Amino acid sequence: MRDKPSVDVKSKMKAAGTSRQIIPKSIRKGMNVDAVVYGNSKILKQMENDALYQLTNVACLPGIVAPVIAAPDIHWGYGLPMGAVGAFDDKDGVISCGCTGFDINCGIHMIRTNLTRKQVEPKIKQLIDTLFQNIPCGVGAKGKLRLTLDQLDDVLRTGANWAVENGYAVKADVEHMEEEGCMTGADPAKVSDMAKKRALPQLGTLGAGNHFLEVQSVDEIFDAKTAKAFGITKKDQVIIMLHCGSRGFGHQVASDYLRVHEKAAKKYGIELPDPQLVCAPVNSKEGQDYYKAMKCAVNYAFANRTIMTAWIRESFEQVFDKKWKSMEMDTIYDVCHNICKLEEHEVNGKKKKLYVHRKGATRALPAGHPLVPKSYRKVGQPVLIAGSMGTASYVLVGTEKGKESFFSTCHGAGRVMSRHKALKLFRGEQVKADLMKKQNIYVRATHGKVIAEEAPGVYKNVDEVIESVHSAGISKKVARLVPLGVAKG
Amino acid sequence: MAYKYIEGITSDVMFEAEGKDLDSMLEQASLALFDVVCQRKKVNPTKKIKIKVEGSDEKDIVYMWLSALLSESDANELFFSKFEVKVNKKGKKFVAKGVAHGEDYSSEKSGTVVKGVTYYNFKVEKTKKGFKCRVVVDI
Repeated sequence: MRDKPSVDVKSKMKAAGTSRQIIPKSIRKGMNVDAVVYGNSKILKQMENDALYQLTNVACLPGIVAPVIAAPDIHWGYGLPMGAVGAFDDKDGVISCGCTGFDINCGIHMIRTNLTRKQVEPKIKQLIDTLFQNIPCGVGAKGKLRLTLDQLDDVLRTGANWAVENGYAVKADVEHMEEEGCMTGADPAKVSDMAKKRALPQLGTLGAGNHFLEVQSVDEIFDAKTAKAFGITKKDQVIIMLHCGSRGFGHQVASDYLRVHEKAAKKYGIELPDPQLVCAPVNSKEGQDYYKAMKCAVNYAFANRTIMTAWIRESFEQVFDKKWKSMEMDTIYDVCHNICKLEEHEVNGKKKKLYVHRKGATRALPAGHPLVPKSYRKVGQPVLIAGSMGTASYVLVGTEKGKESFFSTCHGAGRVMSRHKALKLFRGEQVKADLMKKQNIYVRATHGKVIAEEAPGVYKNVDEVIESVHSAGISKKVARLVPLGVAKG
Repeated sequence: MAYKYIEGITSDVMFEAEGKDLDSMLEQASLALFDVVCQRKKVNPTKKIKIKVEGSDEKDIVYMWLSALLSESDANELFFSKFEVKVNKKGKKFVAKGVAHGEDYSSEKSGTVVKGVTYYNFKVEKTKKGFKCRVVVDI
């Protein structure tokens, strides 16, 4: 029931290196640049033509810089598909809230421990139940913090630093986050009263849908030197992965500016190949207002994940009766998925500032890059990839070859099935029972529906997604992690 | 059926709603939306929130009304289960005024987070029977 693409993009892609395909701009009138799609043969078979066609829509926008990028976890989204990157010229380009998405700075925070699978597995039910109790999960969950409007403005301006100043995290956590947990230039005055109203009760909540908190163990280490730099030292080491975003605040910022950018596109005469690609010229008031408001949502999400870090540590302390520092529960890294950033990249041999929109994609910087935390600079930026409930997750590292994808790579497995169909095919209680029986994975969720919607069968094979970006060279495998227990909203 | 869900969106939800006029179509679309957000049939309409939005045309007023419901639900921590709405045209503007009834958030009656109403495939049209809309929401 979607609009039918006018071009069979899939049949017109051309192989261009290992696990790399090009969609030439010649296949469709109006495309300003080519698109590049990463994926091995198994992944390519699963890719939807509709999602590939969306890349060609983005390629039609003004000021787009070659190429539009699709990671192997690409699936249909709004405007820009999930698993894609669109970079725009900092003078002639556009900023698009449609290209950033609703869940601004949805991302992953990863914490290491010195515990082993053997120590954690016997207590996994107690641990997940404690985490579920201490961290508000699901649509109906009420947040534990009640901020004043002044405090909220501080959160929006300072991001994860607010969590440090208020005792929820330590300085080392923030030093190991993308943007060091705060985008500068966030302006709370560019955010609506309704967005702030939604923000107040939700700071420190996980949310629902595909957001989760997972306790994992290291299954395999591919690159011991890099893994060691990240604090991953042995097989069976226990790691925590937290996936969530800016909650209703980010959704409201996106909804508010969707309407602003719809009007702006008309005002500035920007032809939209898809109405969801609403945007504004980068240096227009509408473009910059959104950028400043989006930064508020980015910072809110950084603070949200960092606050929950404290409750994760407390939960481990309760269950294992040890201090978190003695369990060495340090932040490995925190990455953003849905974001727009002004970054410097090489274009035709020259350094250039670009507004890079990543939607369902992860920044992946190489060794030596100045934005990689000092402690990781010799090896590169950690890239944290979530699988589904029953499948592996990965830690990757950025590479020099990532230059060709604006230093971007995949973010997860990528859905292959709608939620509606998943609910017809799966029953939550059955999925939960199967995960326990067959893989010894304990799942705790607010209700069965969310388990059915997020069943492992609705996602692509994450191992093939990772093989694709690894063989293409835009990021490299460091470690594979498997789930022991999951808390879902 | 006054509203139905449609297959075909990988990660999200699409529905169509109909009514004899714009008001009843909006009420049906509101029901469809909150069948996703919560277990609507279990939600008692014990609290109410007044909502007023303005839009530039019929499409805009549907976008604004549904977006306002999501915002008010989240900001007031309420699940909605019953809706009353009346759309009037004032000059060039469309104004929707109404009431959403529901009860306090609870995990037991929760559904899925709806992040927003999208412009993708978004349609509002006059039909022989009245009005019909198609809405895709981001999950």
